[in-house]
Amino acid sequence: MIKSPRLWTGLALPGTTWLITLFAIPFYAVACVAFGTIDPIFRDAAPQWNPLLWNLDQAQNILVSLTSGPLRGVFIRTVVFVISAMVLSFTIGFPIAYFLARHAGKRKLLLLSLIIVPFWVNYLMRMLAWVNLLSPSGLFSRFMSMFGINYNWLDGSPTTVILGLVYGYIPFLILPLYATLERLDWRLIEAARDLGASSSEAFRLVTVPMSKAGLAAAGVLIALPMFGDYYTNDLLSRSPSTEMLGNQIDFYLNNSTQPQNGALLVLVMSLFLAIFMSLYLRSTNRFAKETVK
Amino acid sequence: MTTKFNTTKQTNENGATKMRRRDFLRNLVITTGGVTLGGSLLAACGGSSTTTTVGGLAIGTPEQPIKLPVTTQAIADGLANETGVLEILNWADYVNPESIALFEKQFGVKVVESIYDEEGAAIAKLRNGTFKPDLIFGMSSTGLAKLVSGDILQPLNKSYIPNFGNVISGLQNPYYDLESQYTVPYMIYGNGIGYRTDRIDKNAFTSSNGYDVLWDSQYKGKSGVLDSPRDTLAMAMFRAGNFDANTSDPAIIKQAGDDLIAMREATNPKVDILAYTELPAGNRDINFTWSGDLFTALQYLPEGVSPEVLGFWYPPKTITTNDFFCLTKNAKAPVLAHQLINFLTDTDNALLNRSYVGYQPALGTITVDMLLKSGTIPESLVDALVTPERYEAALSQVTLDPDVDALWTDQWIAFTAG
Repeated sequence: MIKSPRLWTGLALPGTTWLITLFAIPFYAVACVAFGTIDPIFRDAAPQWNPLLWNLDQAQNILVSLTSGPLRGVFIRTVVFVISAMVLSFTIGFPIAYFLARHAGKRKLLLLSLIIVPFWVNYLMRMLAWVNLLSPSGLFSRFMSMFGINYNWLDGSPTTVILGLVYGYIPFLILPLYATLERLDWRLIEAARDLGASSSEAFRLVTVPMSKAGLAAAGVLIALPMFGDYYTNDLLSRSPSTEMLGNQIDFYLNNSTQPQNGALLVLVMSLFLAIFMSLYLRSTNRFAKETVK
Repeated sequence: MTTKFNTTKQTNENGATKMRRRDFLRNLVITTGGVTLGGSLLAACGGSSTTTTVGGLAIGTPEQPIKLPVTTQAIADGLANETGVLEILNWADYVNPESIALFEKQFGVKVVESIYDEEGAAIAKLRNGTFKPDLIFGMSSTGLAKLVSGDILQPLNKSYIPNFGNVISGLQNPYYDLESQYTVPYMIYGNGIGYRTDRIDKNAFTSSNGYDVLWDSQYKGKSGVLDSPRDTLAMAMFRAGNFDANTSDPAIIKQAGDDLIAMREATNPKVDILAYTELPAGNRDINFTWSGDLFTALQYLPEGVSPEVLGFWYPPKTITTNDFFCLTKNAKAPVLAHQLINFLTDTDNALLNRSYVGYQPALGTITVDMLLKSGTIPESLVDALVTPERYEAALSQVTLDPDVDALWTDQWIAFTAG
């Protein structure tokens, strides 16, 4: 074993440089915008690079807005949309991943490719295709009307946005879940069945606990981008009743004269997600220790 | 806050420096950055302030037009056209590619277009050098003050733009740029309501308060408003009978926000700028939008659908505005840029351009009759045209003071946050 500490330090250098350049510095810049001021003439951000001079007044306003003002509803809606989309994604994605890992046999690669191929197409293009299909004169709407279902999918309803989120992110759930399930020691399931467990008990008491790490990873992978998503709502709804936090960030940064509010919302969301991320890391850490035991 | 204006001289089109007492005072007002000091100095000299400043930015208003300061000379007369490339910065689909191809052929050059989708972001990129165009299309009067303040523009030499005389006479000396030193108007449009004539009767707008139709719950899920806080909040104010589109009265602004929330509860409107595709597709019955969108919408009508299904209600008192061309200070092909402005202000070329863009060129030589006779505009959209009378009755928007702007934004957030 190489004992030179310099070598280990050297090996960490690329990762550390990457982290500082592409995360720490940009994140600090966001904070400087958030706690900075506005150029009174150009009405764009005037970042305050000195933390000792950071202005916290606007942060207080945003926190008040998030807890008891107009942004409170947006925050709650975002959480509800993401949780609903995640539940739906797991409901659809887990059986697919399970089937691929356990029963697809020789067709495994083909089926996996068929699932992934549509997602090679640009997200925007796929969503615009859905907009065409779902519009009242679209193919899907006309098809559904043949069965007497006349539903205006694009009238700004939360259902459409949640389904859009599911459609947009589900492959990022299926793939890590598939990777986890594929590595499961299926003999343990057989042992459970031999010892008298029903198939559902074996699934609940053996399969699910053993795939906890994959479930957590898949959950985190789709939850993080969903929380910041704004274009799904932009394309499928554009109604105030489906506005998410990402839309408010987009508005503040791109269409208002208060970009510092957008930066503040980015910080709030990062903090919120960091809590979930730490819970995920703790749970995977615990799972790893349990596995070693 | 200081600006980059040269405060000691003004330069005319021939490069001769002239300095007037009034100009000196105006520039002093700008560089000292406030109404208070400027006003007191002017008062001390026995005059009155002629410049409006908001947050240190000198702006023109219809009540107080502005002659913008000039820090560099316009190009000299009679220069040869540059060869090679002319770079333009424009909104998406806001010039006819066929018109550009004609220009390229006529002048033997290549026109390269960059796109912007938000004026503030475009100005930021012009300031930091991300965008380096020769000519900018479609800037508004609120953007102009910032561009001049940022020393990004150069004055125009109108000897290269003989077609300037075609511009609507009232816009040849606009309040935001007296003597049109920096700008030549491009398109003109008004705020109103686009609707489907096959679903809404025209009389719905004229029999009572026309704006009320947007609050009618029978159009729930089938209506839209502009994703533009200034335009949409002002619309709610007009509905309530307050016709100051730049009000700083917190009560009026709050009332407008509350009214929009009431509209949201009644109709769940879309908030975007897609009326030009959604109305012709039949996805919406009604949309508060810019008049020019209805002409663009004609190109998005499904096959077999009559253009007469599109209608527009032009409120008697509403915002009517125009955008314009302006030339950057560091333009590499300034003569060609002038030539393109001149090319697009030619009546025939403007009509060709309009056939693609949809919006109405700000040319007095293009009359309503001419447009109707061209067969490109259905009778149902006559009301979307800006007539001289409508232009005369226009309400204008100007840059708001930052504190007032924050009040408007707060109400917008209250509306869009759902």
